[in-house]
Amino acid sequence: MALDYASLEPGQSISNTEFEVDVSLVSAYVDAVGDESGIFDPDDSPSLVPPMAIAAQSLKTVLDELAIQPGTLHAGQEIEFTKAVEVGERLSCRATVGQNSVRGDWRFLVVEISTGNASGQGVMSGKSTLMVPVAAS
Amino acid sequence: MASSYREGDKLPTVERLITQERIQRYAEASGDFNPIHIDPGFAALSQFGGTIAHGMLIAALVSEAMAVGFTRDWVETGRLKLRFRAPVKPGDRVATFGKVKRVREADGGSEIVCSVGVSKPDGESAVTGEAVVRART
Repeated sequence: MALDYASLEPGQSISNTEFEVDVSLVSAYVDAVGDESGIFDPDDSPSLVPPMAIAAQSLKTVLDELAIQPGTLHAGQEIEFTKAVEVGERLSCRATVGQNSVRGDWRFLVVEISTGNASGQGVMSGKSTLMVPVAAS
Repeated sequence: MASSYREGDKLPTVERLITQERIQRYAEASGDFNPIHIDPGFAALSQFGGTIAHGMLIAALVSEAMAVGFTRDWVETGRLKLRFRAPVKPGDRVATFGKVKRVREADGGSEIVCSVGVSKPDGESAVTGEAVVRART
């Protein structure tokens, strides 16, 4: 059943999931973005995870839960990194609705994301602004 | 790592050619298969007239530039606030830009506030925003 985006209220939980940042995930991410910084080599030991890879995986949990509609646009992104993550760590991600409003043909969904490690320490938090076509929402 | 950045200093630049292949690989790495990014038929009927890159793919270039400039300090303390202003299309060669706006003492180090963004070949800014990093002494 399609999600009724209009019913999403600020503070409402969207997702509470876990994922592992394993070598294959980090390798695929570094390859996809073409990162040439030399800081995030998955073959290093220990190897740092690019913080934006954590942000992307965290956002994925939101997109999955919202069954986001084709044509949805990403209008803005705030991110704060608070702790380095090494390859192989398991992270948990919680997302809630920040704002939900309609302007013209678009629904503006602001999603607040908080991601932590297995010790309960926060590693990243963020706020994603998504523009969902009203016709699809 | 101590930072030698001063107000007005330019940040490292990251340049990248955005191809449909790269967009596809990013979709697979991030799990974001929105057809606006990967389905030319769907995207042709959109307001963009064709596929566009994921905002988070372009944002990753800003993070890469910050990682080059501030290494682990960026990974552990970075803050990013971005607006996605214009679409990046396959074939666009984009480049990050950034400049130190302010440096202030903070908790045994310095907090460095930068204006950042990504420009397209025609000079239009695809992304603009602010990045903040706490550099330890």
